[in-house]
Amino acid sequence: MKTSFASNENLLEEKVSFYKNLLNKVPNLIFQLTISSNNDFCFSFINKNVISLFEINQLELKEKPIDIINKKIHPDDREDFFKSLFTSKKNNQNWNHEFRVILLNNAVQWFSVNANVEVDSLNSTIFYCNLKNITSSKHKSLKLQESQTRYQFALEASKKGIWDYNLKTGKVFFSKESLEILHLNELDDITDNWQWDERIHPDDLVDYLQNIESHKENRTPYFENTKRVLASDGSYKWILSIGKVIERDLNGNSIRIIGTHSDVSSNKEKEIELLGNLDIIIEQNNRLLNFAHIVSHNLRSHTGNFKMLLNIFDETDDLISREECITYLKTTSNALSETIDHLKELVDIHSTIIHKKEHLNLNVYLKQTLEVLSKEVKDNKVTIVNKIGEKDTIKFNPAYLESLFLNFTTNAIKYSHPERNPEISYTSFRENGKVVLLIKDNGLGINLEKHGEKLFGMYKTFHKNDNARGIGLFITKNQIESMGGSIEVESKVNVGTTFKINFNEEI
Amino acid sequence: MKKFNTIFVVDDDLVYHFIIKKLFSKCNLDVKTSYFFNGLEAIDDLKNKVETDNVPDLILLDINMPVYDGWQFLEEFRKLKQNLTKEITVYLVSSSNDISDLNKSKLYQDEVKEYYYKPMTQEDFDTIFR
Repeated sequence: MKTSFASNENLLEEKVSFYKNLLNKVPNLIFQLTISSNNDFCFSFINKNVISLFEINQLELKEKPIDIINKKIHPDDREDFFKSLFTSKKNNQNWNHEFRVILLNNAVQWFSVNANVEVDSLNSTIFYCNLKNITSSKHKSLKLQESQTRYQFALEASKKGIWDYNLKTGKVFFSKESLEILHLNELDDITDNWQWDERIHPDDLVDYLQNIESHKENRTPYFENTKRVLASDGSYKWILSIGKVIERDLNGNSIRIIGTHSDVSSNKEKEIELLGNLDIIIEQNNRLLNFAHIVSHNLRSHTGNFKMLLNIFDETDDLISREECITYLKTTSNALSETIDHLKELVDIHSTIIHKKEHLNLNVYLKQTLEVLSKEVKDNKVTIVNKIGEKDTIKFNPAYLESLFLNFTTNAIKYSHPERNPEISYTSFRENGKVVLLIKDNGLGINLEKHGEKLFGMYKTFHKNDNARGIGLFITKNQIESMGGSIEVESKVNVGTTFKINFNEEI
Repeated sequence: MKKFNTIFVVDDDLVYHFIIKKLFSKCNLDVKTSYFFNGLEAIDDLKNKVETDNVPDLILLDINMPVYDGWQFLEEFRKLKQNLTKEITVYLVSSSNDISDLNKSKLYQDEVKEYYYKPMTQEDFDTIFR
């Protein structure tokens, strides 16, 4: 019995020593903390790993455990540490807590403690603790959290949305912000790529598909495209998409593209407005330049004549020569007044005054003109062919329309072919929703290769005709352009001329 | 000794014709002059004169004219030039100070010797004829 008791005792000792060894040798950080009912702390067991890691020396081990804890734990984490410890004690619950420890070399390390709790017969609470150094994972998760916060803020601040397109399934994830640009939300259930594509403005679709295709085929380093996309309120938003393939299969086929969306509507609208203004400025600038040339050409010749005539006048005593000079001075003066009148007319056409536009019936105005010219028409045996639709109306200045018909009709009579009776036909039709007027004659025709570029210029005439002044076509062209229209011409020498007037009026 | 004896004046401005006539008489230049109102009249006459070998020495040519302007005259003149036995000097005389006209005149540098601005003065005549 004794022997067996002794051997039992031996066995027990062996077991205790085995467990002690085990607890000391395992790499885990293990200790046992006992808190008595009157809140006295006692480290009933601390394994070697804990001692060596925390560099607790023999002297410290004799200090009060509470002092050791206070010394080792980061001052900012002490309050929470005890709070959580006592909560566990109070509730008799497992203790799980994360905290920072200051090691001897002042290095700060994160630890987590997991402990089972037990209350013994003396009403002391025993914590069986397992410590874990979680510094590196803690740093990683803190960094991740920080970068996520930053990222989220960046997205919100820049009003950018995110999309993630799986090319294999055709499914797309659109972030909240992405959907918000189009006044949509998760409830609208936009999860497939076609649902996005069908919202793209038809005029922008080809470009968009091309851009995405060239990036998928690796011809562009990333995908970038600006297009109009239909919002839920029926309006179109200009959206800039930038994306990149982040996954390809072994054959290089794209599997997944991730990117951003941003609403660039206000920029785009400003850009369009700016381009429109630029066009107006360029047009006005050209007109101004043209006007400056006209003024310089036409006024300089007159002033030069004045100067020379006065020189001759001064230097001669001969009465006949002097009188000749006076006659030419009068001629020059009249020519100058006429030129100034023409220039004034030109300025009026293009001045900022808004020209009165009215709904005018083309037929009514043609008939009026033919009445005014009835004598010329009769004398010259002109055949008039009127193919203008009874109800064709345009929005135009009445005085300009009168002068338009008058000018083209008198021109056609003036430059009629000597070998045949003049025939003038007037036709109207619609082209791209706009009214077009054709005035065709069978007259002399103009060699457009020779005269084309100066056909509508000021004081240009092309025929040996004494009453040609070269101002009618120039003024008419300017009037048509000031109404937003344009004029084209086709002509063949000895066959005739057709003028095509495009009115800028959608009906 | 004057350089030019027979002269073409091509300009649509009657007042200019008068001024040129007066300048000739003032400078005491005894020259034979023909006046034309546009480029076509001048080139037609020149073609006739080529046949009779009676071409002018000098042409004073305006740019802005009806029917054929100065440029169109020069185009025709260029074709004609190859058959000439005598050199004809051409001066452009224009009120245009437009840079595009000046640049365009450089395209005809084989035909055009000088570009004069209107009005032509006695000093211009002195340089041309003395």
